[in-house]
Amino acid sequence: MIEKILIANRGEIAVRIIRACREMGIETVAVYSEADKEALHTQLADEAICIGPAPSSESYLNMERIISATLISGADAIHPGFGFLSENSKFAELCEQCNITFIGPSSEVIRKMGNKSEARNTMIAAGVPVTPGSTEPIYEAVDGVETAAQIGYPVIIKAALGGGGKGMRVAETPEEFETSFNTAQKEAQMAFGDNTMYIEHYVQHPRHIEFQILADKYGNVVHLGERDCSIQRNHQKMIEESPSIALSDELRREMGEAAVKAAKAAGYTNAGTIEFLLENNEKFYFMEMNTRIQVEHPVTEWVTGIDLVKEQIRIADGQKLGLTQDQIQIKGHAIECRINAENPAKNFRPSPGTITDMYLPGGKGVRIDSAIYSGYTVTPYYDSMLAKLIVYAANRKEAIRKMQSALGEVIIEGIDTNVDYQYEILNNPDFIAGNIDVGFIENLNS
Amino acid sequence: MILKDMFKKTNRENRGNNRESRPEVPDGLLRKCNKCGGTIIADDVKKGLYICPKCHGYFRVPAYRRIEMIADEGSFEEWDREMEFQNPLAFRGYEDKVKKLRETTGLNEAVVTGKISIDGTETVAAVCDGRFLMASMGEIVGEKITRAVERATEEQLPVIIFACSGGARMQEGIVSLMQMAKTSAALKRHSDAGLLYISVLTDPTTGGVTASFAMLGDIILAEPKALIGFAGPRVIEQTIGEKLPKGFQRSEFLLEHGFVDRIVERGEMRDVLSQILNMHRKAEAGDEEGTWHLKSTQESKENRELKAGTEASSHTAETGRPSPDSQMTAWDRVQISRKKDRPVGEDYIRALFDDFMEFHGDRYYKDDRAVIGGIARFHGEPVTVIAQAKGKTTKENIEHNFGMPSPDGYRKALRLMKQAEKFGRPVICFVDTPGAFCGLEAEERGQGEAIARNLYEMSSIRVPILSIVIGEGGSGGALAMAVADEVWMLENAVYSILSPEGFASILWKDSKRADEAAEIMKLTAEDLKNMGIIEKIIREPADYTSDQMVKVCSRLEKRISAFLEKYETLSDSELVSLRYDRFRRM
Repeated sequence: MIEKILIANRGEIAVRIIRACREMGIETVAVYSEADKEALHTQLADEAICIGPAPSSESYLNMERIISATLISGADAIHPGFGFLSENSKFAELCEQCNITFIGPSSEVIRKMGNKSEARNTMIAAGVPVTPGSTEPIYEAVDGVETAAQIGYPVIIKAALGGGGKGMRVAETPEEFETSFNTAQKEAQMAFGDNTMYIEHYVQHPRHIEFQILADKYGNVVHLGERDCSIQRNHQKMIEESPSIALSDELRREMGEAAVKAAKAAGYTNAGTIEFLLENNEKFYFMEMNTRIQVEHPVTEWVTGIDLVKEQIRIADGQKLGLTQDQIQIKGHAIECRINAENPAKNFRPSPGTITDMYLPGGKGVRIDSAIYSGYTVTPYYDSMLAKLIVYAANRKEAIRKMQSALGEVIIEGIDTNVDYQYEILNNPDFIAGNIDVGFIENLNS
Repeated sequence: MILKDMFKKTNRENRGNNRESRPEVPDGLLRKCNKCGGTIIADDVKKGLYICPKCHGYFRVPAYRRIEMIADEGSFEEWDREMEFQNPLAFRGYEDKVKKLRETTGLNEAVVTGKISIDGTETVAAVCDGRFLMASMGEIVGEKITRAVERATEEQLPVIIFACSGGARMQEGIVSLMQMAKTSAALKRHSDAGLLYISVLTDPTTGGVTASFAMLGDIILAEPKALIGFAGPRVIEQTIGEKLPKGFQRSEFLLEHGFVDRIVERGEMRDVLSQILNMHRKAEAGDEEGTWHLKSTQESKENRELKAGTEASSHTAETGRPSPDSQMTAWDRVQISRKKDRPVGEDYIRALFDDFMEFHGDRYYKDDRAVIGGIARFHGEPVTVIAQAKGKTTKENIEHNFGMPSPDGYRKALRLMKQAEKFGRPVICFVDTPGAFCGLEAEERGQGEAIARNLYEMSSIRVPILSIVIGEGGSGGALAMAVADEVWMLENAVYSILSPEGFASILWKDSKRADEAAEIMKLTAEDLKNMGIIEKIIREPADYTSDQMVKVCSRLEKRISAFLEKYETLSDSELVSLRYDRFRRM
């Protein structure tokens, strides 16, 4: 039985985990850096151990110190939260070696899913759809044209050693292919000294749809519906909601089954997320698997009524899933907005500083997960997320109204935040109508 | 608001302690770094490069692991694995000690020898293992190294030795001392056979090992921060009664003092070794692109013609037309040759050669930064390049002493030329100096001797030498790198007995008349060509800077290529006697 958990994280997720533990009667140990002496997680936990200086590499990423803190405190499990060491297979392996329960999947699964090509191959083998692409390297445009026809246009031509957009071209039609291929290949040769190319189907204006899954140690896997995370800037999600209005019941069932199949293929245990790209609201492709709790997990909690962190702990403790797929019902609509200490007018530059005054909304269907308080100082060392504002209502329209109202109440003084920017999105006609894809923010800013 | 001690603690649920086993760190999972004190995962170190992930300090590497790090997988063939224990002094307890060490380390003795390949190039390797009596050199260590070197000589293979040793093995007394002579003698034979020896110094390399095989490499590499010395630092401190400065006897100290060619990070060691081996590959039988010293000594008809025609042709080379800009005075050219943004030696090395690997030090006292040199490839063939180095900024100029070499610089240049001679690769020098460094220390260490030695030795080096004056050719300081088969000059370079300022001040007691002096000194490329002092003039654009090197370098490239082609066909004796004649005429 897990009696004491060390939370190897900080900020709101550490607080979120401590709360779950408190409710379950499990003692908590916080670890903190010298910069986080006064942080909420440090104060809220039953015990707190300083693990080093402010830079993450010397504290929240320092595996040996976290292991030592676990042993000293007598904790029997570690919850890694998200970010930091949560998807570090080596850390999970260290826990396994030291007989510490790692609240997450096995190190082997983390490693496998962390390797893009291995994950992709696992999914292909399991029959989970992936973006169609060439399986062999391509060196000549003539060979590429054939492959492209099989894959389906538009296609993206990528350098095997690519990065930073170099050696990358999109071809919309077979007529364009040769020129695009040759340009990309020439660029690749110049930039990387290698002309090995790959071709993949180019998904235009996709939505980011992810499925939450839970898997116990006895092979039981369920999904908890989807989250639509298409509102993102530079691959950083800003707003997430569940369910997605883009999914018909039919598609939801199909994608959910694929997600369960994916988790089973990976030999997954604990809470995890399968990310898909959704094309034209009909075709979906496996993107990657996140082997941890997600920032946006509260929207799923609200529409399913399941406490995901508690489930994580129970699964790690060896308990069987208490739920079958049929028992999981998606009800109502939840939206989450991430409140960050950043200035949208200055290209979202982080804005550290002391919060001089603050007021956060409440009321029915409003949830705030945060670690800030009046007088708290936001340091420049870590992620700029201050709080997650989550609302729940009977349907999307009402949820949007509730979010508009709640955002309108948020007051955070002393530092810049993106609250007004979020408020604008919530009032954007396209957002309200649900016409969104991953390019939404880029289009909004241009 | 301060939140300290304000929250209520968890309402603990008593679940009874029914967990079978508590978390614990298994033995050997973690260890402490003996350098930074940090806790580290032992496996990371062992599976990696034996480097602390925290402080990047280097741990000592077991011999077999070291071989894995550098050798092609599966290529290691061990030699003399089982050697019988020797106890020449019948030292008590020695046998037991060795027996125990054999059990705990799995080693037979403190060195592992054999044959490996690195990126396909075969080489003999000997690797010391510090776990075995601090890899001190007793009879067996000396014997194994000697046998390995002898076999390398027989099989015409290079040798790489990773040194790590406390020195002589006290338990074996005078017999241990003799191993120094034995290993050195074997290496001399190996070297006389024209073969390459790379010594790699690791922490620690001291005593009798430093004073024998470790310091005898054609190329000496060292790992960062390794302790390398003859007497141990504690012994020195006790003897002189002084505290030694920080960094004393470390690799970096040795590099600065001219005893190490390069400091190589562990992660790059394999690549560096591979590159060096590759540049020293012996020509395959029947391979025409072979090394110089393998050429026939018979004079070909063509060469005899060439020799006869040298005098006649030298004045009418393709580049011999007069400068299009005859408006320019000699003094103008002096000033252009000194311009700050004019390309420097390093620019030419980068532009004309591939895979340049710099080697440092004169092996006597210092690494003079006013001269840089090493091996590189020209059109795929290995060459030795040496340049007098000026900087572009004040900081760089201070580092390079404004291109004024000290005796150590000339000795480094000569060492590299001798190395080129041994391995039969041509030498290309870039001359650009106001003059040899004029200073107290330079005189103390024999500036005159160093220059003289270069003139003397260069005259008979048995590989082609080309010198190109790219800026200032200041007096003996320039000549010490220009006793060559051909000397070329950039159009606006100058080459003279002395600076015009010095000339004016000696003859007229007035350095301000430098411009006047420049006109009569005959120091321009054109004058020197007409006098038969140089062979070629390389045209350069007006306002020549490193951005405009393309044209100049493409001219140089063609001509260097032709130079090498021409001199490649000569036998050693032809080459040397042509060079003799070249200066004999003057």
